Amino acid sequence: MRRLFVLALLLGAMRVIQPLGAGGYGAQALLAFGFLILAAYAAGELAVAIRIPKLVGYLIAGVVFGPSALGTVGTRAIADLSPVSSLAIALIAFIAGVELQWQEVRERGLGLLRVLGTELGISIVTITAFLLLLREHISFLQHGTIVEALAFSIVFAAMAAVHSPAVAIAMLSETRARGPVAKTTLGLVLISDVVIVLLLTLTLAIARALVPPAGANAPALTLGAVAWEVIGAVLIGGILGALVTLYLRFIRRELFLFAIMVAFFGSEIAHLVHVEPLLTLMTTGFVVENVSAPDHSAALRSALERAAAPVFVVFFALAGAGIALPQLARLWPLVLPLALVRAGAIWAGVRLSLGWSGLPRDEVPVLRRHVWTGLLPQAGVAIGLAAVVAQTYPSRGGDMQVLFLALIAVNQAVGPILFRRALDQSGEIPRTEERAAAAETSAIARP
Amino acid sequence: MTASLALLLAVAAAYLAAHVFFDWLGRRYLIVSGAEYLVLGVLLGPQLSDILDARIVDSLAPILTLALGWIGTVIGMQFELRKLLAIPARTFRIAFAESALTFATVGGLEFLAGRWLFVSTDIALVLGAVLGAIAVASSGMGVSLVADVFEADTPIMRQLHVSTQINALVAIAIFAVILCVRHQPLPTSRPLTTTEWVAVSIAIGVVGGTLFHVFLGDVYDSDRLFVSLVGGIVMVSGAAMYLRLSPLFSAVMFGMILVNTTNRPEVLIDTVTRVERPFYFVLMLFGGANWRPSGQAWLLPVLLFVVARTAAKIGGSRLAARANGALPELGDKWGAALLGQGRVAVAIGLTYLHQENSFFPNIVFTAAIASIVLTEFLSARATRAVVAVS
Repeated sequence: MRRLFVLALLLGAMRVIQPLGAGGYGAQALLAFGFLILAAYAAGELAVAIRIPKLVGYLIAGVVFGPSALGTVGTRAIADLSPVSSLAIALIAFIAGVELQWQEVRERGLGLLRVLGTELGISIVTITAFLLLLREHISFLQHGTIVEALAFSIVFAAMAAVHSPAVAIAMLSETRARGPVAKTTLGLVLISDVVIVLLLTLTLAIARALVPPAGANAPALTLGAVAWEVIGAVLIGGILGALVTLYLRFIRRELFLFAIMVAFFGSEIAHLVHVEPLLTLMTTGFVVENVSAPDHSAALRSALERAAAPVFVVFFALAGAGIALPQLARLWPLVLPLALVRAGAIWAGVRLSLGWSGLPRDEVPVLRRHVWTGLLPQAGVAIGLAAVVAQTYPSRGGDMQVLFLALIAVNQAVGPILFRRALDQSGEIPRTEERAAAAETSAIARP
Repeated sequence: MTASLALLLAVAAAYLAAHVFFDWLGRRYLIVSGAEYLVLGVLLGPQLSDILDARIVDSLAPILTLALGWIGTVIGMQFELRKLLAIPARTFRIAFAESALTFATVGGLEFLAGRWLFVSTDIALVLGAVLGAIAVASSGMGVSLVADVFEADTPIMRQLHVSTQINALVAIAIFAVILCVRHQPLPTSRPLTTTEWVAVSIAIGVVGGTLFHVFLGDVYDSDRLFVSLVGGIVMVSGAAMYLRLSPLFSAVMFGMILVNTTNRPEVLIDTVTRVERPFYFVLMLFGGANWRPSGQAWLLPVLLFVVARTAAKIGGSRLAARANGALPELGDKWGAALLGQGRVAVAIGLTYLHQENSFFPNIVFTAAIASIVLTEFLSARATRAVVAVS
């Protein structure tokens, strides 16, 4: 009840303030930012009360207060707050890297690649087939030859196969889940993030060969550029990781600020030199975790989690605000079956591959039942990929983007709920008392 | 260079400088760190090297507004009634009297100079009032450094602590009232009176503080506390700036409400002060980057500001102490410890600089940063000298 009261108060305050002001000096974005933090956080707590994940609450708050519904946070403010999303993605990758231990990568890396390879293969083939089957009802496939339809279906399927490290990490951070399902899901989404970039580049290259894009604004993608994107990211991430390790060894002060700075810095450098930002930060975190002393990396992890808390709230609320309800309403007869086909393909891919993946035998039954749910959600990276395709093929890519954003909206809303349930059922979420104790320990460890 | 990378590099440079060099230097030689960021900002800014160009400086405006809000909240949280009630009333009387004398002296002289230079009484009045308000502010960094290094807890140190807090409050409040008096009517609503704008300025902080408590409830979970504080400060400062009021003042109100209505003020103070430093760096750095030379006759008002403020602080504090019978305890020149200027001065100058239709913003801002550069470095030494004499 108190949460609803907070939301009403916040909304009332915004309604009073907005007509009186005139913005300027970034004030409108700041006002929207403050409102979103509080409103989305309150919505997240409301969501927990009705047993759905907090981040779904943040998303719903974004949808409700965004331009599609109440319009409290306008399109301009969403655009102005895009650096917050970039920071969130960078922090997510950094946290993910810090979670990865060399020992585990060595033991499980190959197994995860096998699962991911099978799952992605089955997803892309199934979604491509589904799109070709319904091509008469899909705007970007209706006109043109079968070869063109095939090319665009593959590109769309490669985009649709993407998973969300953001949701997985936010969910694991919210629930503090620890166990094989959490570990395997995290590993899969992190690797998939790199694989998908390569895959989309490859499918786009095929599409460009089959259907040359019209206009001059199509970004040129070469194998060399893609290789640099990956190798350069590892190199830069490694250097940054070494610097962070040195800092932790010799200075180790103000880790909260330092964590944000590293995430920002890594992301900006990655953009400047055109390497994969997520992989850069992930490598940085990985180097820190595996090279620095355990208590140093634990202190950094704790600072990172703290810095990420408000950023996650706004990131998911902004993702929600970006959902275009009118488009979703128009496209739902196509989007819902598409989401089901994707979910089915992920489920089948994971089940089929786990048997021969080489992952520990005793874990396989629980992984078979639950891991697929963690691969359903889609968020930030997916939206970025859709923008790349829309830039390459402005007309058809634009239609593709609309359908894809509608698909993301469905997966964003349903995926986290199923993943939370799976973590619960697999017994990997600690009980409330254990979580409180863990939180207390981390608060004590905080610098 | 992108805006965020510029921000990052600037903060990183200042941060490392502060930790590796100035902290050590400060403790060893009693030199207060702060003004060097301002100088660094001027050097990196559009007027000199242009590394932080005008576009970058503009795009970082929300961060600066947030920094203003954060620093305002920290200042507001110093006014915890429970602790203030334990301080003798005479200490406050001296502090308020010194603030009033400084404001009257600097404001009056600047008004006369403005009247002589720029003819219009209105303009001179605003110039005098804003510079008077900035003159009142004094930095508490020197006092804190001396208290830390020498573990000094004498009557004069207690007076200096209270005086720097009251100076900040008076300066921020006067400036907030000036903004309300000069508030431009908005095309979309009925023009509000000055009193109504003052009430709105206070209400933003009070409503924000109340909302914070309703939001937080009884659970002081560290994540929730941090999220609520960030959300509250962002919203309060954003709302004040959006309404073209003083984010510093509304945030001071917000901080006061928080610290006086919670059962665990120490937790709140600790959470806010822990993140204060980066915002302080940002404020000083981008304050420096925002500096522009004035096209008008700036030398006289700026020189007058520095000289008149020095005289007013020393003379005003002496008069205030004498009037309250505290001269034997505090000494003749205890006001010298209040000469240092820092975050409040730059915050007020910066807010004024970005107000629409402000008179001679570059003169005001130049005066503020000139005073900071000239006084802050040595404020701890001045404090030590005063403490040693008393």
